[in-house]
Amino acid sequence: MRVLTFGWEFPPSKNGGLGVACFGLTRELLQNGVEVIFVLPRTQSTAGDARFLFADQARLVKIVHTDVSLFPYQQSGSRMNIIVGYDKQGQPIIESRTIIEEAHRFAHQASLIAEEEEFDVIHAHDWTSYLAGVAAKKTSGKKLILHVHATAYDQAGGGSVDPQIYKIEKECFEQADKVVTVSEYTKNIIVEHHQVAADKVHVVHNGCDVVEPQRQLPILSELKKQGKKIVLYHGRISIQKGIDYFVKAARRVVDVNPDVVFVVSGSGDMKNQIIELVGEMGLSKNVLFAGPLWDQERDKMYQAADLLVMPSVSEPFGLVPLEALQHGTPSVITKQSGVAEVLTHVLKVDFWDIDEMANQILSSLKYPAIRKQMVSEGKIQLRSISWGHAAQKIRLLYQSLIQYVTTPS
Amino acid sequence: MLTVCPYFHVHQPYRVKQFRVFDIGQDSEYFNDNSETDLNNQKIVQKVADKSYRPTNKILKELLDKHPEFRFNLSFSGTVLDQFEAYAPDVLESFQELVATGRVEILADTYHHSLAFFYSVPEFKRQVKQHERRIKQLFNVKPKVFRNTELSYRNDLAKWCEDNGYIGIMAEGWDKYLGWRSPNYLYRPAGCSKIKVLLKNYKLSDDVAFRFSNQGWASWPLNADTYADWIHSHHGDGQTVNLFMDYESFGEHQWEDTGIFDFLRAMPETILRHPDTSFKTATETIESYDVTGEYDVPDVLTWADTDRDLTAWNGNDIQKDALAATYGMETDVLKTRKKDLIETWRKLQTSDHFYYMCTKWSNDGDVHAYFSPYQSPYDAYIAFMNALSDLQLRVRSAVTERVAKDEANQSKRDPEEQVQAQPVEAPESAVNTPAPTQPAPNNPPRRWWQKVLDAIPFFTSPSNGK
Repeated sequence: MRVLTFGWEFPPSKNGGLGVACFGLTRELLQNGVEVIFVLPRTQSTAGDARFLFADQARLVKIVHTDVSLFPYQQSGSRMNIIVGYDKQGQPIIESRTIIEEAHRFAHQASLIAEEEEFDVIHAHDWTSYLAGVAAKKTSGKKLILHVHATAYDQAGGGSVDPQIYKIEKECFEQADKVVTVSEYTKNIIVEHHQVAADKVHVVHNGCDVVEPQRQLPILSELKKQGKKIVLYHGRISIQKGIDYFVKAARRVVDVNPDVVFVVSGSGDMKNQIIELVGEMGLSKNVLFAGPLWDQERDKMYQAADLLVMPSVSEPFGLVPLEALQHGTPSVITKQSGVAEVLTHVLKVDFWDIDEMANQILSSLKYPAIRKQMVSEGKIQLRSISWGHAAQKIRLLYQSLIQYVTTPS
Repeated sequence: MLTVCPYFHVHQPYRVKQFRVFDIGQDSEYFNDNSETDLNNQKIVQKVADKSYRPTNKILKELLDKHPEFRFNLSFSGTVLDQFEAYAPDVLESFQELVATGRVEILADTYHHSLAFFYSVPEFKRQVKQHERRIKQLFNVKPKVFRNTELSYRNDLAKWCEDNGYIGIMAEGWDKYLGWRSPNYLYRPAGCSKIKVLLKNYKLSDDVAFRFSNQGWASWPLNADTYADWIHSHHGDGQTVNLFMDYESFGEHQWEDTGIFDFLRAMPETILRHPDTSFKTATETIESYDVTGEYDVPDVLTWADTDRDLTAWNGNDIQKDALAATYGMETDVLKTRKKDLIETWRKLQTSDHFYYMCTKWSNDGDVHAYFSPYQSPYDAYIAFMNALSDLQLRVRSAVTERVAKDEANQSKRDPEEQVQAQPVEAPESAVNTPAPTQPAPNNPPRRWWQKVLDAIPFFTSPSNGK
């Protein structure tokens, strides 16, 4: 069985949960005997054994300049620099485009790839690849699975929903044969807001790699020597992630226990706003901005923290508490998250309930037994939250859509 | 001759409300939740009264009136009796009517439904005595047969009961300790010479308590005739069938629509239909039969889940931590000689609090395997530990006060004693303010107002601890 997969990001390039999820799933599908052709919009180095196609490579770039007008949506605000081709000297031609433009371009190229490749089923990850998935379906007539890692509703974090993204989501869900969501939480959103029939939607929770991570050299030891406790926020600094609630809870915490230090790891569109909020609330001494941390730096921070808080307003899944747990750090997470459905050894709170969030932070710092147990039992639970389980469900879904396999095995 | 010894256990805990870190030192009421949640003790007691206590007592009274041979046993925690008195006095009266027939025996128990025997025998003894006084006051009887919280049992508990004048004790009739032997006889606890142990027939008991409404069970729906046949089948291989279960099985664990009340209504008659079968109370059973062998239980045995041990209460880190913190306060709490502090501490010993912290099955995501009014075992732990932290603060200040007072009594001739009381802050609030994270020193410096406080005679009730 061969699957044509469209994704937007893939390790080892630095990215969020989407790339990690695509990597974990693809690896386990390959293990399960599924051939994966993974199409990415831009050339990059890749990890793992799947066959990769890059939609910006020369043979495809030829058609790049056509057809943008086929897609009549307005341009969305965020822009990205894209290599659209190469000049006679072999230098890249770079154009600035919106993500929506690029998603349409990706779709156009997807239909060409779908003509050239042999496969049994199409699987497209995240909204930026939905159009590509639909285009490939129209070209090939194969069945299409759209995999929802987030929705316009999550990005909005309770604010106004991007109408262009919503439109792509809704129209593509209609075209899809099956829709996979990473949680019941996200399923409920698309059933309610995108009017997708509930029986068309399958929940496949994300997984987590069960590896005992290397112990890093300790950091922040000076603070710890002074008896400070470290509470970590790790993620984009954006409204969706609930960082403003985190800062407000920090104020409540520090009122009771001034020896708590909050570390914010990440960057994002709300960064300046949050720095101002921290100043306004008189928390400059207690909130540290570490900037975005990756790889070893991130692992060191996970290991140094006494507690992680994921205050998301709307989190389709949320891998961060699982990663923290691997490093031996327990979490407070919001109930508005998919990971809350699979992880029981965490503290759960509504994102708006600042008092209770502060209570959980203070209580877990005050009573070490609770942190110890959330880690020891949580680590056991991690074993059952694996990419292997997720891939098995995906494979069964492929099989349910394919009458007979046409690709040579 | 075969007799049936039914025993129903009546209990409700004082659930701790959602008590936050911010409440420590600010709020000394832990059990007064008034929300719509299942933490509202008054609401729960009134709900269970409607669903279980009132209709079941009505049926039991009818059965006692109708069948002069019908007998059974009840045990009550002190915490449920207190809550009946406060929230449903008519339920308490209906229990008194049952006991007044003389055919309903009350068993001895700990007042606070605690596991104190396994953590502090002196505290356990005080709770048993407190329970005995309460039962005497409400029912005018003195229990002679003992049952411990969650039917927990061990050889040394049986020995304690023997040494303290009980003629019998109840335990789970568990295969691990019975081997090939039947629970339907009386046994002698290892290390004892007089006391007899009554063993729960867990198959027949759990058929009613757990399986009655299980539609996947081969014997569903169970009717009273079939059940009586199962009991009668023990003629010849047993003397007593001991049916021990939660009272709340009737109407609360098994809802009315399962037919449980019709079953109960029909049961005595179907059992008595066999000419050589009757009912006995625990005391009558013990007086009627001799022991047939020894029951040797060196490790704690309970009636809980398949493990039949205490791990549902003390199996994980947070449970161990909470238990250690609770029993670690004993010396200081008693030193205060303050009735309200001691009573609050005891309410926090109720086993249910620790059960709510159980994570045994939560790895399967089956968080509902245990009934709990909390959203998670961790929420239960946090509420409990915050309440306990508040109590620790209050105890510390009360001990300081007590020490100061005792010192003052020793130096009665001190002329400064003549200083008259001036308007001061109430002692409780004055000493409740220190930050929760700072442990009070053992011998804090005497403050100016302590002299004044010493001059105020404040009421201390006779200690329960003596």
